[in-house]
Amino acid sequence: MPKLGVYDLAVRYGKLTAISDLSFAVAEGERVFISGPNGAGKSSLLSAIAGAVRAAHGRIEMDGEILSGLGPESIARRGLSMVPEGRRIFSGLTVLENLSVGTGMRNDRSAVAEDLEIAYTAFPILRERAKSPAGNLSGGQQQMLAIARALMTNPKVMLVDEPSLGLAPKVVDEVYDRLCQLQALRALTLVIVEQSSARAARVGGRMLLMRGGRIVADGDAASFAARDLLTEAYFGDAA
Amino acid sequence: MTSQHTIRRRMAATTPVVLALLLLVFVLAALALGDRAIARMAAETLIRVTMVVGFWIFVGNSGVVSFGHAAFGCIGAYVSAWLTLKPEMKATLLPGLPEMIAAADWHVLPAAVAGGAVAALVALVTGAAILRLSGIAASIATFAFLAMVNTIWANWTSVTGGTSSVVGLDRYVNPWVALGWAVAAILVATLHAAAASGLALRATREDEVAAAASGIDRFRHRLLAYTLSAFFCGAGGALIGHFIGVINPDGFYLSLTFLMLAMLVIGGVGSLSGAVVGVLALSIAVEALVRMEKGVSIGAATFALPPGSQEIILAVAMILILIFRPSGLMAGREVMLPARWVAGRASTET
Repeated sequence: MPKLGVYDLAVRYGKLTAISDLSFAVAEGERVFISGPNGAGKSSLLSAIAGAVRAAHGRIEMDGEILSGLGPESIARRGLSMVPEGRRIFSGLTVLENLSVGTGMRNDRSAVAEDLEIAYTAFPILRERAKSPAGNLSGGQQQMLAIARALMTNPKVMLVDEPSLGLAPKVVDEVYDRLCQLQALRALTLVIVEQSSARAARVGGRMLLMRGGRIVADGDAASFAARDLLTEAYFGDAA
Repeated sequence: MTSQHTIRRRMAATTPVVLALLLLVFVLAALALGDRAIARMAAETLIRVTMVVGFWIFVGNSGVVSFGHAAFGCIGAYVSAWLTLKPEMKATLLPGLPEMIAAADWHVLPAAVAGGAVAALVALVTGAAILRLSGIAASIATFAFLAMVNTIWANWTSVTGGTSSVVGLDRYVNPWVALGWAVAAILVATLHAAAASGLALRATREDEVAAAASGIDRFRHRLLAYTLSAFFCGAGGALIGHFIGVINPDGFYLSLTFLMLAMLVIGGVGSLSGAVVGVLALSIAVEALVRMEKGVSIGAATFALPPGSQEIILAVAMILILIFRPSGLMAGREVMLPARWVAGRASTET
């Protein structure tokens, strides 16, 4: 049984179809990049899996349990957490409060303290700035906070929407380093939207290429970058 | 670093204490002046603190502006009147009351608690519908709720007395009673804000999508805050009734709604201290302006502001604050004891 399964998914906004007939499966512990041009439906796909957008059709399963139709908060409680596009940290709250928000639904107090320690170890800046308003952090630090916040809900599957958006390449390297460390440490299954297939190839993992609301290619990220220079040229490379 | 965090935490814990002391000093100062009008102003101010702090529990944490909280004051005031008025008075004034309530002859304190509790119950039921709406739609629905309560109260004459006032309430509310309720409201507001539910609600205020992705059920936390908030507005309404001795549905309508909002905006909706400071600042300003309207004697001459200038000056003050200090007098900060006062024990621990 796959960790995460998406079957015949369709997402529509009014008459506009963002995603149609989309299916794929992700194995436990896998790292999957979703790439493709603007408007390909990458963010819609992530939002539909996380329950932030209701699917018009299709089924989404995690560990065989059907997620489609549940609200985003119920899905988060079942262990699927999303780092939304543009980070969307709670800028009026302190860094520590941002991290505590996701733990409200957990009863395992000692594990929460452990997770906080893991987050602080991965992102030492968050410990340093624990009591300052999250809105004062830099873009890269906010991205780290958004990832750490998602981690605090104790997820099995984590969806990350464009972690590199608006960040300097060096900061993007750091964000990915930490993300991969956390994945190994917590045996996470990761699904990441990443515009740059070159970046995905460097980090390593599987890649799904989307276009017009469908998956047009599925394979190892490294082979994509080497093989498909034309695609690279067509879709552009931000990094 | 840990000790610095401990100090910050201790400083935050001093906020309700500092606010309670501030109110105590306010009462003592008002009583020391020995002026009956000022003592009455102090009691009225503290009743408003109770209501506005209650109001803040919902508005401050959820970020949803409510226009309906004056209605909870109305409910609380009438429930307390129904329970405490002498049965023979009720038989003539309010013949439509059910027998159990008509025969009730409660002590004033449990009646005020009942006023708050019934308001909270109404909030729980109506909030279940209203709070599923988002942002502005929820605010408009609360306004509709206010209008509904007012219309029902103004027309259900056999139970509410309609637009003619209900008179003869026991006027037991003095500055000390009002201080007790205000401090209780501050304590509950502090506990709620510090609890997981308060934090979750503030997260939904900052970003709904991210809050949902963090597993937060926005509706549930909103409903809890709305209910708690209605309790103190209801209890505050009961206090108003027993302070003036006369109640009328229009006493809990638009002007009270505007006053509560103005106090919150002027103090700053971003913090509990803002709610308290807003009430104090506005109440003192109103009292001063009312006195100036009546005339101030300087030597042989008497100066008086033209009648009505109080409202105009206040409206101008509110506009100026919205322009120059949009997050209010407190700008989201809490009052607390300085670090060195609370640092002593904390630093020896680490």
